[in-house]
Amino acid sequence: MNIDAIKDLAYKMADDQLIIGHRHSEWIGLGPLLEEDIAFASKAQDKVGQSLAFYKLLEALGGQDPDTLAFGRTAAGFHNAIFAELPNGEFDFSIIRHFLFDTAEFIRFEMLAASAYQGFSNLGKKFKGEVQYHILHANEWLQQLGNSDDKTIARMQNTLDYALPYALGVFEPSKWEEALLAEGIFAGERELQARWEERVHAALKQTGLTLPSLTTVEPVYGGRYGQHSEHLQPLLDEMGEVINSEPGAEW
Amino acid sequence: MIALLDPRLKRLSLQKDDLPAKENLDQLPTYEVFVQVKEPRPFKHEGCVHASTPTMALVFAKEQYSRRGTCSGIWVVATKDIMVTGYSDNATDIYGRFTETANCQGDEYSIFHMVKRGTQHSFAGVVKAASPQAALACAGKTLPRKKPVLNVWLTKTANILKTTEEDKAMWATTPEKLFREAIDYKTQEKIKAFKENH
Amino acid sequence: MYGGGYLFEKTSLDLLADEDQEKLAEFEARIDRGEKIEPHDWMPKLYRRQLIRMIEQHAHSEIIGALPEGTWITRAPGFKRKLGLMAKVQDEVGHAQLLYSAAETLGKSREEMIDDLLSGRSKYSNIFNYPAYTWADSCFISWLVDAGAIVNQVANSKGSYGPYCRALERICIEEAFHLKFGHHAVTWLATGTPKQKKMMQEALNRWWYPMLQFFGPPDKESAHSEVLMRWKVKILSNDETRQQWLDMYVPKIWELGLTIPDDKLKKNEETGKWEYTEPDWDEFVKVINGDGPCNKERLAVRKTAEKRGEWVRKAILATSPSKEYVTPLA
Repeated sequence: MNIDAIKDLAYKMADDQLIIGHRHSEWIGLGPLLEEDIAFASKAQDKVGQSLAFYKLLEALGGQDPDTLAFGRTAAGFHNAIFAELPNGEFDFSIIRHFLFDTAEFIRFEMLAASAYQGFSNLGKKFKGEVQYHILHANEWLQQLGNSDDKTIARMQNTLDYALPYALGVFEPSKWEEALLAEGIFAGERELQARWEERVHAALKQTGLTLPSLTTVEPVYGGRYGQHSEHLQPLLDEMGEVINSEPGAEW
Repeated sequence: MIALLDPRLKRLSLQKDDLPAKENLDQLPTYEVFVQVKEPRPFKHEGCVHASTPTMALVFAKEQYSRRGTCSGIWVVATKDIMVTGYSDNATDIYGRFTETANCQGDEYSIFHMVKRGTQHSFAGVVKAASPQAALACAGKTLPRKKPVLNVWLTKTANILKTTEEDKAMWATTPEKLFREAIDYKTQEKIKAFKENH
Repeated sequence: MYGGGYLFEKTSLDLLADEDQEKLAEFEARIDRGEKIEPHDWMPKLYRRQLIRMIEQHAHSEIIGALPEGTWITRAPGFKRKLGLMAKVQDEVGHAQLLYSAAETLGKSREEMIDDLLSGRSKYSNIFNYPAYTWADSCFISWLVDAGAIVNQVANSKGSYGPYCRALERICIEEAFHLKFGHHAVTWLATGTPKQKKMMQEALNRWWYPMLQFFGPPDKESAHSEVLMRWKVKILSNDETRQQWLDMYVPKIWELGLTIPDDKLKKNEETGKWEYTEPDWDEFVKVINGDGPCNKERLAVRKTAEKRGEWVRKAILATSPSKEYVTPLA
């Protein structure tokens, strides 16, 4: 099998989960109500836990250990979508991102479960239920805020419109699309996006929000190739502040 | 105030002044949560969540009441939809108070029992009845019990939102989250080695 | 996490005078028999009031207690610490939720309690008014502040009020993870590089005296109420919990090669009690009354969270099929 293609996809997934998990963790202790604080904290842990599983896979493929991979690279070495690294903003953005991003993740895990590469199919099956809960959580928030009073709906619509170009950036094609497809490792970003649009559309249809025609939305690409926004490097500096203060130490 | 140390807070502008008094406190209604740790154990009351809808209550309950170990299902019921009896004194069965003859037909009620003070209510079974009073009489007649029941909660089964068979996958990885468990933080070897070198 | 040092107002026993004496006798007999009191039971007004006050302070301490450790949540070194600290701080928020629920069964709504915290009408544990300057401070809290809380909470879980005891039983199970997580993190620092050891020693120096204060003023100085003990609202005295903690953890701190910043600290083999330099109790009172290093920040953060979340709560309340709040059951 094409190991380079597998690694590229594994990096994307690992970095996506780590960075968005890190962002989610910024809400811990500061959420809008206690119960949601707890629920969101679990999502942060789940995401970081999923990233660890993919870093372990990379380690088994001859890479460095997970801590070095996660805490030791600079922004240019990260393959996450720019969407994941954007600051949390207020709760509306965090929920809209959670919904758009996790809908894509859910489908990606489904597709991975069917992968010809066993390392992926195992993880796809393993995390299916976890992501199923994330989707339940995201959809319920979307339904409630997206069907609330006019002011809230307008706020959510605004945020949705802002988020969509970044959300489409999640599907930035890699240079391995054909190899992944040919070997049955992964059905590809284009297929993923098509399924995502269907589900996002279906969920939004039950709310007061409208999905603009996506052909008119210019995706924000670059993240998959290490070209990030100004937000990623400060996030990484912060995340690595302690561990990198004493190289070689065990913490 | 010393300089902020949490980088998360440095990114926010902190509320320095007092908040204006609220006209109404934004108090959400509560839902009572029942958890089944493992089949076929009974669903047991674990506490409540504040939530705006039954589905939201279920979403919240999952992480507040089943984020460790195993879980095979959760039920939530709006607190206002549960009826409660008084407490009987120890060793007397509360059902002794509900002995009128009743027609055990009608809506389905779910019944929860407390058998000892300090413990939680557990699901005891269902009965059909035309009213809550009748449901208690029917439950007293039909529900098996090994010990006297001190207190009963009941609600129409239709009021309960339950997780489905498909939802069970949500707990598949919970027991593997060892980073939430004491057992994953062993220090003995490290301390032993440290002492030997000093 | 919570210590002793409850900020009970002077127990006004005159509240008891107009109680129904027969019911009061029944209530006390039930407690004497070791039975729990449950929410719909008859209870004296004084019992209800002191319990609400105590459980509410405990809940506030959990939610405020999430902040000093939260200081390091985005900077935890490595996956093991990152996952562990997220789970630990999440538990503190979870404990607040459980405790507020237990207090709610006594008839005060959660929003009223939160309102009282934000306005300063209600107190929380003093120790969280100190800053977590380094990663090692958060490790100290995870291990030793939680250890202190466990001593107190295990005792209180044998109290008389059913919902509070049930919440505490669950909390204590989760605290066992906190304790091990914290001990593990401290061990790795104390046995690590010279820089790590120094970091840990400095944190210990900072936290030692606030930690002794955590259990509350010495028994001889605290306004103690015999009736609260009799009703099993308060179980152990401040000095008892402090001594238990010293007995369990001083040897564990020493075995890591750390130095406790008190030359006088030793166990008196005759009395079996630890002798130590008293912390500055005037400072304790000063900090409780709002003049500590972080009091203003802690409340400002909670107010900020409250304000940022306000539109969310309003929006979902608007869609809620039923807005009726009734007192939770148990």
